[in-house]
Amino acid sequence: MNLGTRKILDRSFTVVGITSIMLMATALLVVVVPIFTGGIGAIYFEGTIEHRKLQYNEFGKGDRGAIERQIAETEPYRNEVFRILDAFGDEMETMEPGEKRNYLSKYKKVRKMLSRLLGPLPGDQKPILLRYQYGSTRWEKAEELLHDLMFVTKWDYSNPDEMAKRYFVPRADEFAGTALASLFLYLENNLEKMLLPERTFYWGFLTDRSLDAHIFGGIWAEIQGTFFLAVGAMLFAFPLGVIAAIYFTEYARDNFFTSILRSANSTLAGVPSIVFGLFGLAFFINTIKVSDSKSVLAGSLTLAIMILPTIIRAAEEAILAVPKTYKEASLALGSTKWRTIVTVILPAALPGIITGGIISLGRAAGETAPIIFTAAVSVGATIGLADVFTMPTPALSWNIYNLASEHEAANEIRHVQYGMVLALISIVLLLNLSAILLRARISKKLKG
Amino acid sequence: MAETTLVGGKKSEAFVLSPEKLRRQRIAKFIGEGFLLTVASFVAIVVLFIFYFVAVDAIPFFQQRGFEEFFTSTGWYPADDPGEFGALAIIYGSGMVTIGSALIAVPLGISAAICLSDVLPFSIRQYAKPVIEMLAAIPSVAYGFFALVIFAPLLQNHGGPILMWAWWLIAGPFVLLAVVVAGDLLTSRQTDESRRKTMRTMLTGVLGVIAVVFLYWVGKTLNAIQILSGTNALNVSLILSFMALPTIVSVSEDSLQAVGRELREGSYALGATRAETLVRTVLPAASSGILAAVILGIMRAIGETMVVWMASGNSSHIPDPWYNYLDSIRTLTATIAGDMGEADQVTGSARYHVLFAMGLLLLVFSFISNLVSERIVIRQRKILSGE
Repeated sequence: MNLGTRKILDRSFTVVGITSIMLMATALLVVVVPIFTGGIGAIYFEGTIEHRKLQYNEFGKGDRGAIERQIAETEPYRNEVFRILDAFGDEMETMEPGEKRNYLSKYKKVRKMLSRLLGPLPGDQKPILLRYQYGSTRWEKAEELLHDLMFVTKWDYSNPDEMAKRYFVPRADEFAGTALASLFLYLENNLEKMLLPERTFYWGFLTDRSLDAHIFGGIWAEIQGTFFLAVGAMLFAFPLGVIAAIYFTEYARDNFFTSILRSANSTLAGVPSIVFGLFGLAFFINTIKVSDSKSVLAGSLTLAIMILPTIIRAAEEAILAVPKTYKEASLALGSTKWRTIVTVILPAALPGIITGGIISLGRAAGETAPIIFTAAVSVGATIGLADVFTMPTPALSWNIYNLASEHEAANEIRHVQYGMVLALISIVLLLNLSAILLRARISKKLKG
Repeated sequence: MAETTLVGGKKSEAFVLSPEKLRRQRIAKFIGEGFLLTVASFVAIVVLFIFYFVAVDAIPFFQQRGFEEFFTSTGWYPADDPGEFGALAIIYGSGMVTIGSALIAVPLGISAAICLSDVLPFSIRQYAKPVIEMLAAIPSVAYGFFALVIFAPLLQNHGGPILMWAWWLIAGPFVLLAVVVAGDLLTSRQTDESRRKTMRTMLTGVLGVIAVVFLYWVGKTLNAIQILSGTNALNVSLILSFMALPTIVSVSEDSLQAVGRELREGSYALGATRAETLVRTVLPAASSGILAAVILGIMRAIGETMVVWMASGNSSHIPDPWYNYLDSIRTLTATIAGDMGEADQVTGSARYHVLFAMGLLLLVFSFISNLVSERIVIRQRKILSGE
């Protein structure tokens, strides 16, 4: 082959390698950045007066006087809307029955959308569900709703070869010539004065309980559930893992039995996470019955056996990284093997062991499949520490799935889902970051 | 043993072990080691328990329904009475996303591993490793959320252009490189230097035009594709490949590092370029370790639940045609996760046990591939250490 071609091949080989690394970094950014920006939206957004009303009524947060003043500010504009509605209602009474029927369903639709925007309208019954008791709490949602109210969405199927095209028709056309026709322009011009959007930091998103299945409120129950499950798993797995690692590194002889134990360890590491879930259900709940049905305890135990191999491996590596001289010096001073392990080797290996522990904690917090059948519920309040033996809990990982795929209003609470994903990713990545930093410090220290 | 006399006539017993004490110490040591051994064997016991308890709940299904239907039928109607439990389409779906993700992750992962072990200087490598660790640390449900909420709509609305751009960016450079190499190889018989040069330029030019036309034609075809649903096998394969990547990269990098300097230096000394050294010498030496990495990565993809559950479309049928990655599919893991909620109330029914049968299938598969990869790694270590 020509030398030039060989050089080109060599260069392109390097380029391919670097590109693949860049591609991985890009993939990380592509996944993390939208989640991050979307998740911020759950905490920092333009909150309307409805948001402040809700906060005051449900959580007792906010300044009552200011809120009442703002409500009074919005009253005249809202009353104008209600006046137009009343005027149209009166007008409908005078119509022919056929014409009235024609308008009635369209009018009902308008009223329904208006109540989503501004809260219950005068003359409506007080709704039972909390989600209908307040109007739009977020300004960007209000703007979407306003658009839906102003325009009717239609689909154009005229070209059978292409997908249907969407187009909009002003809703005012449906009511042309009636009293209601003026409503739409008025809404468009004055919606801001009716809702008074303000930039809001809603830290309560992290610490409030959820209201009406996450339509409003925060995600504290999920955060707490994740915390209980992950810490519970660590309580079981960490001591077991470290002791097993001590056995493997200091006591195990190089024989068939040990190699079987090691094989078992890597087999356990390779078991698909959903199979852990099946095992947890079949063993912890159906066979030894640690609880009557799903519980935090059963979930923690299942997660514990899942992260056990990781902890063992990390602890083994940390112990093996301790310089041999430490051990020899201690033995030469006459201490027993066990004493050497406890007082010399373990303290030296501790940062490394903790690094492995932190990474496993992150894995336990993020894992979903093992807790589906053993610990997670979709809707639930926060549970007390005493309930962990008997009660299931909501958890971030499971509820992200549940809200994104199974929630009845999944499209309307995207901000809550993003917020949850951001919370989960932040927890896991912060844990990993601290592990990485800790490890960097250890390697610096070992180098001297 | 002698007693030591300390200042003030006190006698220290520090180095004195009476037979009584010696015996006690020995017993303590025995008990202690026994305890350590018990804890260490705990993992093996857990593995046995997992096999036992999954199998115990899986066997009733095969007793009730036999093997034939499960492995050969595509009719999956577990809720009907009597239900149909044909898992062929589901097994096929699992295989499909696994192969799809391997096709993306294996070349990418191996080239990244080579880059990390041989190409990049140490200072940059330090920053590249945490990226890979972060990629591995992101919870699967977050990937699933990304696939469902962000990527699926994108694929559905702009599927054609995305495919076209991916084709240009990935295939473009490789095809052009192939043109240059082909031009060089085809003219290498020609001995006259100046004639060879003109021939090569012409040949490369002609091949280049053909290649560009080919690239353009395929790109145009891809651009015209309309993706009906963003939750499909392609979406899942892509996301799964990024989840399998960290495993593949780190295990194959270890294996590349294990190939010593001597082999590399020998190859350089014979005049090989870095690419030639890596492809002809290092990769063959590390091949078994890389194979183990690929197996481990594939296992990660086949056992993954949340991404496929959220973003695969969950429709139990074999795509038409069979290689259509733009069709929705359903996998074993997603079926277990999705159907257990309804089947749980009817414990003891075939509907409940069939999920354990699927779990057993996954478990056996992961066990075998784990065993194989472990054997491979051990063998490589033996060969490289010259035993």
